Amino acid sequence: MRTSKEVKRTHKDMHAPKKETPHIIAYRMKCARTANGLTHFVMYGDVPKQQMPL
Amino acid sequence: MNRSNKRNQGTYLVDIDPAWKLVLDPENIFWGLLNKDDQGAYLPADFLHLYEQQKKQLDRQLADFRFTTELNSVYIDPTDRCNAHCPYCYIPQEIRKHGTQMSAGLLDEVLRKIKAYFKDSRKKPVIIFHAAEPFLVKELLFDAIRKYRTSFLFGIQTNATLLEKKDVDFMKAVRAGVGISLDAPAKALNNHLRSTGNGNGNYDAAMQALDWFDGYEGLSVITTVTRHNVTVLEELVRVLHAKKVSSLLLNPVRLTMKSAVSLKPDDTLFADNLIRAVETAMDLTEKTGRQIVVGNVANTILAIVAPAARRMMCDISPCGAGRTFLTVTANGDMLPCGEFIGFKEFSGGNISASSIGHALHSDAFKRVRERTVEMIDDCKTCVFRNICGAPCPAELHARGDMYQKARSCEFYKTMIRYAFQLIARDKVQYLLRSDAVRRMEYEYLYA
Repeated sequence: MRTSKEVKRTHKDMHAPKKETPHIIAYRMKCARTANGLTHFVMYGDVPKQQMPL
Repeated sequence: MNRSNKRNQGTYLVDIDPAWKLVLDPENIFWGLLNKDDQGAYLPADFLHLYEQQKKQLDRQLADFRFTTELNSVYIDPTDRCNAHCPYCYIPQEIRKHGTQMSAGLLDEVLRKIKAYFKDSRKKPVIIFHAAEPFLVKELLFDAIRKYRTSFLFGIQTNATLLEKKDVDFMKAVRAGVGISLDAPAKALNNHLRSTGNGNGNYDAAMQALDWFDGYEGLSVITTVTRHNVTVLEELVRVLHAKKVSSLLLNPVRLTMKSAVSLKPDDTLFADNLIRAVETAMDLTEKTGRQIVVGNVANTILAIVAPAARRMMCDISPCGAGRTFLTVTANGDMLPCGEFIGFKEFSGGNISASSIGHALHSDAFKRVRERTVEMIDDCKTCVFRNICGAPCPAELHARGDMYQKARSCEFYKTMIRYAFQLIARDKVQYLLRSDAVRRMEYEYLYA
C-alpha cells in the first residue's frame, strides 16, 4: 500500500492499479490545482485562458 | 440498502454487480471495490489500516465541502422573458410572457455589488447569464462582459435562436462559457420540446451555433430528458460528437412546475438509455481521441473518486443553492437558485435594497441550506446519501415537501452503481474532462 506521502501521481497514471485481476480497488483524488471558477456551468475546468484580442 | 448491510466501523457492504462488491463509508465516501472472485471473508489488514488512517481526514473533508464551501458563482437572469415555450420550464408562463427585463443600470449595480462581495477573494467568481432567454438583452450582456471581464469569469446559457456569428466570435474571444440548449438529434422532436411557436423550435439555430463554435473548449450542450426524448440520448451523443461538442449534460426534467410531472421519464428506462449514451460517449472518445463527456455522469464519478472536486452542486446535500451559488432575477430579487423563481417565500431580498451577504444570511436561504439528507427519512440510512444528495429541494417543495427523497431516487441509485462499475472497469479517464483530470492527484491509492 502506498499513500500520497510516498507517491505523488497525476493524470498520467490515474488508472486504477494495474493488476490482471485486482483484489481491491480503492483510491481518492483531489484537485491539485484548484479550478478558478467552480461552477456547474463551465464544467470540470475553466475555459483555457488563451486570450484573443477583442 | 440500509444499516443491515453494516460491516464495521462505519463501513457498509453493497453488491454492485456479479463481479464486484463495494465497501463504503457513507459519511466520508471512503470506498473499496472488492473483486468477488478473490474476496474471502475478511478484508486485508492493510486495507483496513488505510481506512483507519484516512477516516478522520475524509470525515472532515466531506463535512467542509458540505457545510463550509463558500459562494463562488452567481446566476443572473437579465430577463424573465423567453421566446421559447418548453413544456417543462420551471419559470411560470406568466413570468416568461410578461416578466421584467433588467435595465443597464440595474445590471451594473448587481455586478458592482457582486464585485464588492468578492473583493477579498483570491478566486474570480463566475457570473452566469441564465434563464429565461438572456440573448433577448444581448447588448446589455456584452457591455457588462466588456466592462467586468477582468473581475469575473462569464458564462451564458442560451437556446441560440438569437445568436449571430459575431456573437460567437465575441464569446470565444472573451473565453466565456456557453451552454446551448438542445433536446434531440432530430429536428421534429427537438422543436416539439424546444418550441418557439408556429411549429418551429431552436433546432436549426442550435446546430448552426455548434458549427460556429467549432469545438470551442467552453461549449456545453444541455439537454432536458423527458419521456419524449429519453430513447434518443445515444444518438444525440453521436450527433454532438460529430459536431465537436466535448461536454453534454443530460439532466432529468425538474418537476418544479406541475405541467412537467407528466413528462418525467421512467427511472429504469432513463437509466438504461443514459448508460447506453455514456458507453457510446466513452467508445467515441477512445476510438477518435476526441472527447465527449456526459457531465452529470462525470459528476457522479467525481462524487466517488474526488468528492470535493465535483462541480455540479445539485447532487450534494445541502445542495449549492444559497450556498455556493445564488440567482439574481430580472427585478433584482435574490433567490437561492433559479428553480425557486415561482416561490416568493424563498426570496433573500432585493439586491437594490440589500446585499449578497444579507441574502446569504436570510432565513429564506438558511431554510434551503438546512435541508440535509440526514433529515429525510428515506435517505438518512441510504449508503449513497452523500453521493446523490436527494435533489432537488425546489422541485420537492413544489411537490409538497422538500424533506422527501428525490423523485428519481431509483434512477440515482442505478447510476451510482453503474459509476462504481465504470471505476472497476478502469474507465475514469474517459469520463472526466481531460483538463480536469490533469489538475488532479492521488490523496491515497491502495495498491
